[in-house]
This record gives sequence, C-alpha cells and structure tokens, in this order.
Amino acid sequence: MSADQSPLEIKGLRKSYGSFEAVKGVSFDVRPGEIFGLLGPNGAGKTSIISVVVTLERPSAGQALVFGQDVQVNPRYTKSVIGYVPQEIINHGFFNVEEILSFYSGYFGKRKNQDRMEWILQRLQLWEHRKKKVKQLSGGMKRRLLIAKALVHEPKLLLLDEPTAGVDIELRCSLWDFVVELKKMGVTILLTTHYLEEAEKLCDRVAIIHQGELRCVGETHGLIHELTQRQVVVVLKSELKPIRHPLLVAQREHELEFRLPASMAVGELLLELGLDMAVVQDLRISEGSLEDAFQCIVGEKS
Amino acid sequence: MSSKAQLSWVPFFTLFRRECMRFQKVAAQTLLTPLINSSLYLLIFGVSLGQHISLVSGVSYLAFLIPGLVMMSCLNNAFQNSSSSVGGAKFAGELEDFKVTPLSEQQIIWALSFGGLARGLIVGFITYLVGQAFYFLTHGAWLGVEHPLILLFFLIVGGLAFAQLGLMVAFWAKTFDQLSVVGGFILLPLLYLGGVFFSIESLHPFWRNLAQFNPLLYLINGVRYGILGISDVPLGFAAVVSLLALLLMYVLALRLLRVSSFSRW
Ligand SMILES: Nc1ncnc2c1ncn2[C@@H]1O[C@H](COP(=O)(O)OP(=O)(O)OP(=O)(O)O)[C@@H](O)[C@H]1O
Ligand SMILES: [Mg+2]
Repeated sequence: MSADQSPLEIKGLRKSYGSFEAVKGVSFDVRPGEIFGLLGPNGAGKTSIISVVVTLERPSAGQALVFGQDVQVNPRYTKSVIGYVPQEIINHGFFNVEEILSFYSGYFGKRKNQDRMEWILQRLQLWEHRKKKVKQLSGGMKRRLLIAKALVHEPKLLLLDEPTAGVDIELRCSLWDFVVELKKMGVTILLTTHYLEEAEKLCDRVAIIHQGELRCVGETHGLIHELTQRQVVVVLKSELKPIRHPLLVAQREHELEFRLPASMAVGELLLELGLDMAVVQDLRISEGSLEDAFQCIVGEKS
Repeated sequence: MSSKAQLSWVPFFTLFRRECMRFQKVAAQTLLTPLINSSLYLLIFGVSLGQHISLVSGVSYLAFLIPGLVMMSCLNNAFQNSSSSVGGAKFAGELEDFKVTPLSEQQIIWALSFGGLARGLIVGFITYLVGQAFYFLTHGAWLGVEHPLILLFFLIVGGLAFAQLGLMVAFWAKTFDQLSVVGGFILLPLLYLGGVFFSIESLHPFWRNLAQFNPLLYLINGVRYGILGISDVPLGFAAVVSLLALLLMYVLALRLLRVSSFSRW
C-alpha cells in the first residue's frame, strides 16, 4: 500500500433494488488523508454507495476499491481497514458499552485493546456510561457508541453515515473536532450529513449526488466558487441616482448590491459601472455557501 | 483464503465468548426454564406413568426416559440458542456488525454452533442431575454412565448439528414468527417421535419403519447407549447417521449464511 494509493475509489457503481435503480453509475475517488463529504438529499443513494463499500450490499455493476483492493474480491482485507458508522442505531440487547467494544475489538482480531478502548470512550464522553446497556443510553450517546465501535481497530478509512443525526449542537461541534483530530492522525474520512454549513467547514472535497447520479465532485471551495454567485456590495459615500446594470440585485440609499458569476472579476464590474473611485467608501464581497451550491444542483431539475 | 489474520483464533473465541455470555445473561430463560421442563417431564412420565409401563429391555421406565430427556434438552437448547441469537441480532441490526467486520463465514458458523452446544451441554447436564435425583428417590441408587466417551460423542455431534439447524433457520427466516414455526411445528414432533418417551420396538410396524427415517432416533439412542448401554438401533450406524446429519446441517447453514441478507428485520 503506497502513500498515494487512493483509500477509496468508486468506479461506475450501480445498485438496483429489484427494478429500482438507486445508484446509476457513480464514480469518484477519495484522496489520502482528506475529509470527503458525500452529499445529497434524502434518497439520493448515499447509504446505498456506502453499503456496497462495507459489503452489506453487492454492487449491480461497477466496483468499489479500498486501497486498491476490490471489496468483493478481497473483503477480509478491506473490512479490516474500514471503520463504518451506520446511519441506523444498532441495538445490542444484553450487553453494555464496554462489552460491546471488547467484542468488536475481538472480531478484528485484537485481544488486549484496553488502552485504545479507554481513549475512545474518554474522547467520546462515554467513559462514565461504559457499564450501561444500549437501551439505557440517550439517542446521542447511542450514536457516539456507533462511532466508538468503528474506531476500536484503528481504521485507515472511516465511513460516517450521518454521524451527527440527533446529536445536539454542542456535541456536534465536539464530534466534528474529533473528526478533524482523526484526520490529523492520518485517517481518511468519508462522511454524509445534511448539515451543509458544517460540511462546508469540514470537508476538503465534496461530491453531490442526486437521484442516484453524481452531479459534481471537487474541492469544496472550488465548487462553491464555480456554482454560486458572489454577492458584491458597493458602499458609497453619497447617495446615487438610480442606475441600471444586468447584475444589480438591489439599490439602497448608500449601497449597490450585485450578484457576480464566478467568471467575472470584481474589477470588471467596477469598470463597467464607471464609478468615480473617490465615492466608493467600502466593498463587501461574500462568497456563496455550500448550501447555495447544493440548491443550485439539486434544485435545477428534480 | 489463507492469510494469517484468517487463521487467528481471536475472532472465533470472541464470538464464542459473546454467545456464552448471552445465554448466561438471560439464565432465567435459557437455563431455568429447561430445568423446570425436565423436572415436569420426569415427574409426569417417569414417576407417575412409568410405574405402569414395562419395557422389553428390562430397565425401568425412568432409567429409559432419562437419557432421552438429556438429549432432548441438549438438542432443543442448542437449536434455541443459535436461532434466537441470530434472530435477535437480525432484529437489533447487530447482524450487520458480523458482516462489516472481518469475521469469516467459518468463524461465524462455528463460534455460534459451539455457543449453542455449550448451552445444550449445560442444560443436558442439569437434566441429568435432576434425573439422578428422581432416580435416587424412586430406586434408592444412582444411575451410572456406562460409556462416557460415547455419550459425549453423541451429545457433541447432535448439539452442533442442532445449533447449525438453528442457524440455518434463523438466517433463512424473515420474521420471528417464521422462527417459532420451525421450532414448534417441525422440531418438537421430531424430538417426541425420536424415541425419547418410548422404545420404537413397542410401535406398530408402520410407525416403526417411518421412525427409522428420523435422524433424531439415532442421536437419542446413541445417548441412551452411552448412559445405559442399550440402544434400539446399531451403534455404529447411529454414529454414521449422526455425523452425516452434522455434515448436512453444516453445508446448509453455510449456504444460507452466504445467500441470506444480513439486514435488519
Ligand atoms: N433495501 C432497499 N430496498 C429497496 N429500496 C431501497 C433499499 N435501500 C434503499 N432503497 C432506495 O434506494 C434509494 C436510495 O436510498 P439511500 O438509503 O441510499 O439514500 P440516502 O442518500 O442514504 O438517503 P438519506 O439521506 O435519507 O439517508 C431510495 O429511494 C430508497 O428508497
Ligand atoms: Mg442514508
């Protein structure tokens, strides 16, 4: 396994349930050491893709490669390097948190894993709940237990399917901090979430899928830049008579608000307006958000 | 299919330990209920009815009944353990855990079968002890074990085969109801008609011929030979049939593990 080997490659992946095709030929790569966001509305096919990677589902066509190994051909290897956090809560009947983690370690062939388990439990604030059974945990704790389970064997690729669903704001932040910490430790992370603001801050790259098709993939900020319009507000020293310009969105007393496509530079706009630079008090430029980009892709035809 | 990690015993023993802990945690259901059941059987059949039954072979009816009940408890509990473990895991979504970890098919099948066997042996032993108590009270002496190794052979082969039958049914089943249907409508009649309560010698020839096709007859008679030294069927034949039953169950359980879904109910 070389250092630049892609931790996860999805190639022409299709997945049908009966006659319904949930994933329609999706391809993308996840790069070593990055946080990759797999985004899309409900039913887009995110969980289906992840299920194929962890071998819960068989692909109808195409491949998923984990560090170069096909998950269908060499599942023992790929499973041993993947940490998987499912979207649905898993119950464990009679067992408590500590027992569940020790079983899980054992399934990965680790016998004495006390130190690692304690670190994870402390880090996920589950240490004081380690003697509780799953049904005695709150919803947020159950979700953190899923994450704890996925980490016992020091995975190299972590798949998080909505790890923060049902988790409160404060905890969500601390979870994302933890994800960043894991990234610094060299773990490659693929996550799905419906909190786009958080995804924007967190993800190095994102893919947006819609109705089983990949709509775009790329660097988060590059995508936003490409897909959304910048908002440019020109603040003036004195009031101006009403002006006309195709990109003008609003004119207030001292302000002109424009929406600029990625292709246009701010300088160009100012030149076109032919304003006297002396009257320009201030220039406020804000990028669009991932949410705007998402809307632009998912909203266009559905 | 033969890397180092695959041969590691840690995943196998972990899963086996989990199975044993599972039935210990619900000991009231898994260990106490069978204890009460066997006591009732012994009381009703062995002690009250047994006084009116005489057997060809000359042993008392209670002595005849005890080995049958021991094996019946062992098989029934081995089946229950693996089937309810997998059924419960499907219900909770936990079976997905088995699929996404590097546990191999062999590790899953054998760890779960040995878990079922462990419970079967414990309950079988408890039944034996209860039987001993009844025997001592009615006969004033203990019932010995004639051939301990033969007894162990049949208990282990039968327990594993039934645990694997339980796995097979649980992998196949899509609901809890399907599970209990198999347990109730198929397993129990086979057990009852396998010569637990009566010698097939005493049956009408038609039923006697039919009973020859019940593999349980051989398992139960093997155990009876182990404890009493008597059997309705030739011992060597019983051993071969039992091993074939185990092989068949193993192949079927593996097949169903491969083709059936791990997703939750
Ligand atoms: N086991 C299944 N059988 C039949 N259809 C399924 C199955 N699993 C998923 N689907 C369908 O496939 C499509 C994609 O589902 P999937 O769970 O992959 O979406 P998702 O992107 O994870 O959505 P969400 O954000 O709601 O989790 C949906 O239309 C869903 O109804
Ligand atoms: Mg999903």
